[in-house]
Amino acid sequence: MTNGHPIRAEEFELFALGVFPGEESASIQAHIDSCPECARKLAEARGRIALLALAAPEQNPPAVVKQRLLEKVRAEKSSTIAPARVRETRPSAPWWNTVWAPAAVALAIATVFLWISDRRLDQQLQQIQQATRTYQAQTEHAQALVSVLAAQDTVTVKLDATPAMPKAWGSVKYNPRMGMMCYTADLPEPPPDKVYQMWAVPMTGNPVSAGVFMPAAAHNGQMLAKVPTGMDCKWFCVTVEPKGGKSAPTGPKVLVGTL
Amino acid sequence: MIRAQRAEQQNDSDWSLLERVVQKDESALAALYDRYSGLVFAEATRILRDSGAAEEVLQDLFYQIWRTAEKFDPARGSLPGWLLVAARNRSISRLRRRSTRDDDELTENSVVLPCNLETTAAQNQLLGRVKTILGGMPDGQREAIELAYFEGMTHSEIAEHLAMPLGTVKTRIRSAVEILKQALA
Repeated sequence: MTNGHPIRAEEFELFALGVFPGEESASIQAHIDSCPECARKLAEARGRIALLALAAPEQNPPAVVKQRLLEKVRAEKSSTIAPARVRETRPSAPWWNTVWAPAAVALAIATVFLWISDRRLDQQLQQIQQATRTYQAQTEHAQALVSVLAAQDTVTVKLDATPAMPKAWGSVKYNPRMGMMCYTADLPEPPPDKVYQMWAVPMTGNPVSAGVFMPAAAHNGQMLAKVPTGMDCKWFCVTVEPKGGKSAPTGPKVLVGTL
Repeated sequence: MIRAQRAEQQNDSDWSLLERVVQKDESALAALYDRYSGLVFAEATRILRDSGAAEEVLQDLFYQIWRTAEKFDPARGSLPGWLLVAARNRSISRLRRRSTRDDDELTENSVVLPCNLETTAAQNQLLGRVKTILGGMPDGQREAIELAYFEGMTHSEIAEHLAMPLGTVKTRIRSAVEILKQALA
């Protein structure tokens, strides 16, 4: 500390480098915010330290970054110009100029009309965005399914019926490396307020939930679940659980398969 | 015609280009991008070790220039200085998953570079100079200052990372900074 300044001349570069601990750094910054002389010294120190960036291996960005930047800039420009045009053109009909009241009414109608079309466009935009999100989710789901089904280290486990539901059947495709499983099951409708829940049971530790499902969803073989990567699974089972599922199996087992 | 315009823009100062960016001239922004994107991208890539993330930092910075060019004050420092400092701050924040206050950086981070970087020749000359300065430092000093700059580590973090006494780390960084200051004076 010198002459009321909490930072010595040779320490500005160290402050710019950011090597001081948080508390010390904060008190120095508080002083600099109110001391023009120290602020000037820090700006110069920052400049010297910033040149260390030039020690990084030289790299040029791909051309597409500039292209994206300019597209974004153009999009912003066009979106800010568009409303101005609307404002310029609408009130210009010359014969309205002498009839203020009808002009005001017309303007109000036009405003309402524009507001309605704006809302319609907004709704359409939301629908398109929703459809895009759904499509993306479906695509990601399909890609994940394909990756599990196509992987050479994916194993298939047949699920056998239990006396609780003797006609049921199912199967699981499990990939421990990816920590993914997909399964299919043919089951009757569960009792009211109940769902089916799939479990992956490891050699040691508690069963891991692989999701709750209703028969219709599992019938087409597209149920996909994430389980801990590298889990040493011993067997899989499906139980009947209250709606929303449970954190550990509580209901009767209806399907069981051993790995 | 376009080539002549580009050549003319290459000679324009940063501030005249910025004035045109304020007027929403996208060719001026493109000229500034051509001038400094290599430096910014190299720095962000070195810090993040992820070219995709570095591209985002680069695009965000130049988009911020587009949106808020009027906030730049030539009296408070240089544009390339601000770009290098802001790119470092944002990259380290991403690396450490901290949040940044992008708009404040413009007014809070005044940076006065000790040299002009407006031409490719000046940039190349300085690149060589900085690499020579760092190359001339003892390995321990260079490693310590690079951990501070590119990893955003404090004295204590560097000491822990290198399993060295804190005092040794402080001495090494102080010496490295002194060498840098003297060589750039």
